[in-house]
Amino acid sequence: MSKLMYEPLDIIITGVGGQGNVLASHILGNALVDAGWQVTVGETYGLSQRGGSVMSMVRITSEKPSSPMIPENGAHAIVSLEPLEALRVAGVYGNPDTVIITNSRPMMPINVISGENKYPAIDELRGALEELGGKLYWLDATDEAMKIGAPILANVIILGAMVQAGIMPLSAEQVEKAIAGMFPEDKMPANREALSKGMQMAAA
Amino acid sequence: MPDLTKLTPGKTILMQGNEAISRGALEAGVQFCAAYPGNPSSEILQNLAESAKSAGIYAEWSANEKVAMESAAAASFSGLRAMASMKQNGVNVAQDFICNLTISGIGTGGLVLLTADDPSAISSTNEQDARFIARLASLPLLEPTTPDECRRIMKFAFELSEAIGNIVVVRSVSRLSHTRSNVTPEALPTDRRKPYWDPKTNHFNMPVVPKHKVMLEKLAKAEGIMAASGFNAYSGPEKPELLVIASASAVLYTEEALGMLGATDRVGILKLGCTWPLPSELLLKHLAAAEQIMFGEEIDPIIEDQVKAFYAQHSPELGPKRFFGKASGHLPMIGELSPGLMASAMGKVLGVEPPKVDTAWQAKAAELVGELAPPREFGFCPGCPHRASFWSIKQVLAVDGRDGIVSGDIGCYTLGAMSTGFKRVNSVHCMGSGLGVGCGLGQLGPQGFDQPVLTVVGDSTFFHAGLPGLLNARWNQSDFLLCVLDNSATAMTGFQPHPGTGVKATGQEGNQVKVEDVLAGLGIPYDIVDPYDLEATQEAIYESLQQKGGGIRALILRRLCALVQNKRGGHPYTMSVDQDICRGEECGCNRFCSRVFRCPGLIFDEKAGKAVIDEVVCAGCGVCAQICPAGAIKAEPKKEAAA
Amino acid sequence: MTPQPAASPASVASLDRLKEQVIDAGLCVACGACVKLCPHMIFRDGMVAAPDACGLEGGRCYDLCPQAANPGQPAKRGDLFNKRGQDASNPLGPVLAAYAARAVEGAVRDAAQYGGVVSTLLYLALDQGLIGEAVLTEAGLRGAPQGVRVNTAAGVLAAAKSLYAAGGALSALNQALAEDASHKLGVVGLPCQSLAAASMTVHEKYTQAAQRIGLVIGLFCTMNMDARGLREVLKQAGINGPVQRGDFPPPPAGVFQVWTDSGMSEIPLDDVYQAKLPGCALCPDLTAELADISVGAVEGRPGWNTVLVRTAAGKELMDLARDKGLLEYEELDREGLAGLSVAAQNKRQRGLAAWKERGDA
Repeated sequence: MSKLMYEPLDIIITGVGGQGNVLASHILGNALVDAGWQVTVGETYGLSQRGGSVMSMVRITSEKPSSPMIPENGAHAIVSLEPLEALRVAGVYGNPDTVIITNSRPMMPINVISGENKYPAIDELRGALEELGGKLYWLDATDEAMKIGAPILANVIILGAMVQAGIMPLSAEQVEKAIAGMFPEDKMPANREALSKGMQMAAA
Repeated sequence: MPDLTKLTPGKTILMQGNEAISRGALEAGVQFCAAYPGNPSSEILQNLAESAKSAGIYAEWSANEKVAMESAAAASFSGLRAMASMKQNGVNVAQDFICNLTISGIGTGGLVLLTADDPSAISSTNEQDARFIARLASLPLLEPTTPDECRRIMKFAFELSEAIGNIVVVRSVSRLSHTRSNVTPEALPTDRRKPYWDPKTNHFNMPVVPKHKVMLEKLAKAEGIMAASGFNAYSGPEKPELLVIASASAVLYTEEALGMLGATDRVGILKLGCTWPLPSELLLKHLAAAEQIMFGEEIDPIIEDQVKAFYAQHSPELGPKRFFGKASGHLPMIGELSPGLMASAMGKVLGVEPPKVDTAWQAKAAELVGELAPPREFGFCPGCPHRASFWSIKQVLAVDGRDGIVSGDIGCYTLGAMSTGFKRVNSVHCMGSGLGVGCGLGQLGPQGFDQPVLTVVGDSTFFHAGLPGLLNARWNQSDFLLCVLDNSATAMTGFQPHPGTGVKATGQEGNQVKVEDVLAGLGIPYDIVDPYDLEATQEAIYESLQQKGGGIRALILRRLCALVQNKRGGHPYTMSVDQDICRGEECGCNRFCSRVFRCPGLIFDEKAGKAVIDEVVCAGCGVCAQICPAGAIKAEPKKEAAA
Repeated sequence: MTPQPAASPASVASLDRLKEQVIDAGLCVACGACVKLCPHMIFRDGMVAAPDACGLEGGRCYDLCPQAANPGQPAKRGDLFNKRGQDASNPLGPVLAAYAARAVEGAVRDAAQYGGVVSTLLYLALDQGLIGEAVLTEAGLRGAPQGVRVNTAAGVLAAAKSLYAAGGALSALNQALAEDASHKLGVVGLPCQSLAAASMTVHEKYTQAAQRIGLVIGLFCTMNMDARGLREVLKQAGINGPVQRGDFPPPPAGVFQVWTDSGMSEIPLDDVYQAKLPGCALCPDLTAELADISVGAVEGRPGWNTVLVRTAAGKELMDLARDKGLLEYEELDREGLAGLSVAAQNKRQRGLAAWKERGDA
């Protein structure tokens, strides 16, 4: 077990209700505990299935438990299944060094669908994330997930990207083992494919 | 989480706070668990129900929290360890029984009341502090800080309960119940108690006054046991500049804030896991050592007020002190706490500024988020039958034209008060209150109230607290239309079964209690319609509203929750929008489907000026095809469904 | 009638203006001209409503509404007569020919309100292919009138009685016009509906209407009733069940007659007037002056219709009916029309005065 880059190492996983980010943080948490770390994953849900923003705060330490809340501007990495949510969270919890990993596919808020608000132009959104974060991984995760078989696999693709980006003390094998502990064997080929796809995309 | 009995003792795993509570109860030898679902408490009973068979215990979803508490008390009377879990609102429902049970005393089996409160109302309609039940009913109160402490404190709670012969309250909060962290389970007990109620023992609350005295003696006895429990602890310098007395998550926030302020050596933290009755000896010792005292606790200033009252009693020996917290304005009276809030409150007292990120970056971030990031409203899911129901209610009340009023209450359908429900609910309070409000409005006709009254109630709420209102309406001939929005699930809290589904908490078949049978039994005329069929639903609602003066009558708007439907193989249609037919923003439509109907699966392509289906989001319910004025939205049977 | 608020500025969305000036002001006469143009306007049980905002300006809903304030009916009528090159100075409006007429076929007369002229003309127009479909009013759920589309003689006869309640029939016309078809449409309507149909044919955003509305048969109307209010009045009078036909017999009868399953009943006029649509007080038109042919009763001659032929198309159809021997008729001279003219003049004056009071001369 190596030393942590930060103590605690703080990662936010965010997205829109129903995208599977709670599951992603759950997988990650299991892998980290298995690897011997002290982990605290604070989850905000309740209305999560109802199209609102959802957020998991993953805090990793060597020994002492952390509080379930990352302080403002304190996230070392922000991982998002939806690009607008990446920006929203970066504004509050990011800082000039934060690594941002985001799926590029918008999920339109109903207040945008209704025409009351505008969703930003995708290039502008990408530009803003580039400007705010230390490094940006911009991934067409949903498109790739649909090629593999289902849009929900975008969350595993993103986990692959997190491994590749080196933002947490976990190997691909450790993450895969955690996934295998939570899914039946027949779901594993697609999950494995998604995980390695995510790694490839982040390496490109 | 699968079966909690299958964990390996001593092996550290990631567990949710609620899972740790459940595991702690199992480690304590709980044999009877009852609850009504309500976030953030729902997973507790869910876990126990899934473990019930292998643990050899009983677990049920009760019809409401009062019944849950009463059932658990019966198990205690018969010598079993028992618990009832609920959210803060549930404590109100159970309160009458709790306040009488504390007089009669429990049986020989320990009885734990678990309340999971919801600071910031992340998934609630209020953020009340249910710790008041401990003061109100003179019960010991425990407040764990981490998931692993949840597990340990549950074991202690049962022991304490049996030692004093009264209920013990354990209070969690959303941020703890829904946090996952390292937990190291211990072994499960192997012995099981056999329930037996010696007929020579009674559980009466009479004679009241002597029993009231006994109740207070139990509480006094608890203090000593709690003091030795190890859940209260002090860390910090011997004579701190500032003493922070904190419970639950606030303990961790305080520790973190001290790190941020670089003030670890200046401040002491008195962590209280046992918060009522107050630990007098410990408090006297630490109050004597500090002149400035701050309180860290979530929602109401309960510890704060009680410590101040305690201090008033002991002020001659303690000398002058300054207190900081909610009353002084250093910490907010509303919402959750956070490391940042604790840092800024302590920083003010200590004269230290919390560290800040580069201000230019912060300004840039604020500007970009302000410019580019619109809010994200939550609302009904794609395919939700409630959207269709409220659509019809909105249309009908408009064309009825008599300023109809809709009373509602708690469930997914509460969102009827928001934009995806077309803001067509006029009152929302607690479980079942829509029916009670309907009862009252329905009696105002003779005094000139001529607006039609429509009450909405979900199927689970109908059984939980709707029945008395229903009965009252029938008895007193209150004049209103009841719409039971029956999605055959307790959807808001995670699809728990209820009497209408007939399935029990453990997944076994129980006796199904149909909404229509209850209505028929009470003699209330009713009809059943499918809310996905907009015209049939609208005609049914309109026709029923015209019968004003006819007493209570009901419509069951029945259609399975879209999320449950998704789990059962999905909806029947593949939706598409014919781009040649779609009228877009022209007179004759003006993006009616996306702008007004507001389904997340149906978006508007600004460039093309036409509606399109978001195939990742659309559930395929087909309802939007009915509202398109041009017939541009097509519902084709799914290929799999056809095959 | 009560004074109305001044017309909203033109920049306010059409639907908002329509709601403020007409629907919320209680002046809607449920003609149906705004219904089924778009999904915002809904109609049920005799009443029009708009639950949601639309936001567009220049919408047809407002422009086609006979009760909209700006321009109001007087200006709108003048403009339409101008465009058609018609002289409307006569209290009966433009009249090319006037007859007392009735259907030769007794069965048609029996099914109809008076002389069966409307049914005969519609049937003929359908039979000759002058129109492919006709829009009429029928009794719908709870007996409330609603628009119906027919293309057979049986369909025409089934909807041949007057119901004397607002029925939104033009919604069926809008619905027919929205379909991808080219056949001509005939419509039978009250004076307000004849005006709205005429407005449709000249609206620049409603080219289908200009192309496809082939025949407008107008019905004489002194005032109309709110479908729900009338049902309430009948209920108070102990009359239940759907109304099959209603009639105001000429003075001094002083009653409203209704036919239901249980036969004919009479209700005092004062009771019936409780259900009068307030918006009808704005109407200056007794004889549906913007129709091709207008039809009503003949005072003192039960079983006969007064027929006013107003346009060339109307004349062609009337002549054809005569040539085919479907109608018996007598020409009406000035004297024969004297009573009707006086009544029309009175209604016109009352209506114009009401518009003046509302702020649109």
